[in-house]
Amino acid sequence: MIEYPEIDRYASLDSPMHRFDPRAKIIAFIFLIFSVVLIPDLKIAFIGLFFAIFLLILSRIPIFFVLSYMKWVAMFVLSFFIILAFTFPGEELAKFYFLSVTAEGLYTGSLITIRAFSAIILIFPMIGTMRFDTTIKALDRLKVPNSLVQILMFTYRYIFVFVDEFQRIWTAMESRGFKLRTTLYALRTIGNAMGMLFVRSYERAERVYQAMRSRGYTGNPKTLVEFEIRMKDYLLAVSIIGFAISLHVVSFVGVV
Amino acid sequence: MRDAITVRNLSYTYPDGTKALEEISLEVHEGERVAIIGPNGAGKTTFLLHLNGILHGTDGQVEVFGKSADKEKREDIIKDVGIVFQDPDDQLFMPTIFDDLAFGPINLGLPEEEVRERVEKALLTLGLSDYENRCPHHLSYGEKKKAALAAVMSMEPKILVLDEPTANLDPRSRAELIEIIKGLNEREGITIVTATHDVNAVPELADRVYVLNKRITAEGTAQKIFSDVELLKETDLEVPEVFKLFEVLQCFGYNCEELPLSIDDAIEHLTRTVENEGGHIHLHIHKHTHDEVKKLKSKYEHHKTNK
Ligand SMILES: Nc1ncnc2c1ncn2[C@@H]1O[C@H](COP(=O)(O)OP(=O)(O)OP(=O)(O)O)[C@@H](O)[C@H]1O
Ligand SMILES: [Mg+2]
Repeated sequence: MIEYPEIDRYASLDSPMHRFDPRAKIIAFIFLIFSVVLIPDLKIAFIGLFFAIFLLILSRIPIFFVLSYMKWVAMFVLSFFIILAFTFPGEELAKFYFLSVTAEGLYTGSLITIRAFSAIILIFPMIGTMRFDTTIKALDRLKVPNSLVQILMFTYRYIFVFVDEFQRIWTAMESRGFKLRTTLYALRTIGNAMGMLFVRSYERAERVYQAMRSRGYTGNPKTLVEFEIRMKDYLLAVSIIGFAISLHVVSFVGVV
Repeated sequence: MRDAITVRNLSYTYPDGTKALEEISLEVHEGERVAIIGPNGAGKTTFLLHLNGILHGTDGQVEVFGKSADKEKREDIIKDVGIVFQDPDDQLFMPTIFDDLAFGPINLGLPEEEVRERVEKALLTLGLSDYENRCPHHLSYGEKKKAALAAVMSMEPKILVLDEPTANLDPRSRAELIEIIKGLNEREGITIVTATHDVNAVPELADRVYVLNKRITAEGTAQKIFSDVELLKETDLEVPEVFKLFEVLQCFGYNCEELPLSIDDAIEHLTRTVENEGGHIHLHIHKHTHDEVKKLKSKYEHHKTNK
């Protein structure tokens, strides 16, 4: 089975992050994420990472769930780390044949790795603590361009249909003895299946559009939603943003 | 009674040259229930898409309550005609059931209060009150099908157009949906147009039937259509099982002129016959019984023999 991309699987838990008003949450976290990826100092980057982990724990989203996503990010980021460690010019620490590890390289590599991990971890308490449709509506209320909101909305809705459709084609292929190999034949078959999926999606898009027009779609669908922002949401948002700013103040002043 | 839908000489050819409809003329009266039956590829779906101005005929015209579906602003037609598509995944395009049900009313420009009321009412009618916040991809097919109908009902159309409402449903969901559709017609006087090849549902969902096979090949009561063997053979159509059973009974000497089409009809029919014949029905095997049964069976095997 192919897994559904369910970032919001734990949206029904209860935690301070879950109770956080969606709009305030998105703004505060986006601020924090930007702040974290721009930290110039490794020690402060670690503080950022710890804060990210703290918020993750506060959100009660299971760690294994986060790790299952993190492993892909880790593979990507660690390759960066290695490249940087070996190629960054600076003081030589060790030498393997013609490649040398530099202190500056290690430093920059670690900095980028830590920043990336922090940013990814922060995604979870941000959008993993509410249903994705709530996220979309919150973005809409935050005046994100409507076409972008629609793209998200329909992608979110149809990615599941798409996965099901792919699953059906795949099952049909396997049940007729198809095995995934690296032969030309297998590749051609997969190409055909992809083409099939593409045609089906195209036809579906046409039917969906007909259904939308049948119900009066004119290009700007609106949704009804009741968000209620309270004092504690302001407080929480302000503290998170305050923390985000202080990370930079501290690294600028150089206290640590 | 005024006409809800009037179609005159409607023809439609798809851009790729496929002739899907030729010279269709028909009318549906207000409050009536009409079924459009025909084999796969007969043009049923294509035809339905003309009823609210999604497709425009290459020739001919469609009128809804006297207003042309071509000229009038589409908004007006949409308000009157609600189409429930065959695949609910095409129809439920919003993130949650609530959003989907609210989609139409919001587009009609209704105030928020009324949108919410309509959504509540549609959920209630379809028995989906607990589903408000569910996402469509977590629903079963039967639930999706109901939700798709609810999404159209929230627009409170005067004419409800259904494309294969009973396809792919289990018996229980099928029966539920049929009851709901019947109820909408009886209680709220909604005009119902159903395209289907589920012949067993036709007697329950329609007072009158059009047979479509690119053109309209026949029109009449379900009774009349299903008795026309030649027509059925021509258009590759089936006959309701109850109807067949009573034809078999006829071979065994059961006496009836109008064959029942549904279980309800059958109960009524049997009761009447039993009462008329002094408390029992009389069946027997006479010298032609076997021949007649054989003939009957071959009559309904045209699907197999013709191909
Ligand atoms: N978008 C399209 N472009 C070209 N031809 C089409 C298109 N959609 C349908 N057709 C063709 O038009 C004809 C009528 O199709 P339609 O879907 O209306 O039939 P139907 O009676 O609804 O069939 P079914 O019972 O299978 O749903 C078919 O021959 C079909 O191949
Ligand atoms: Mg069809």
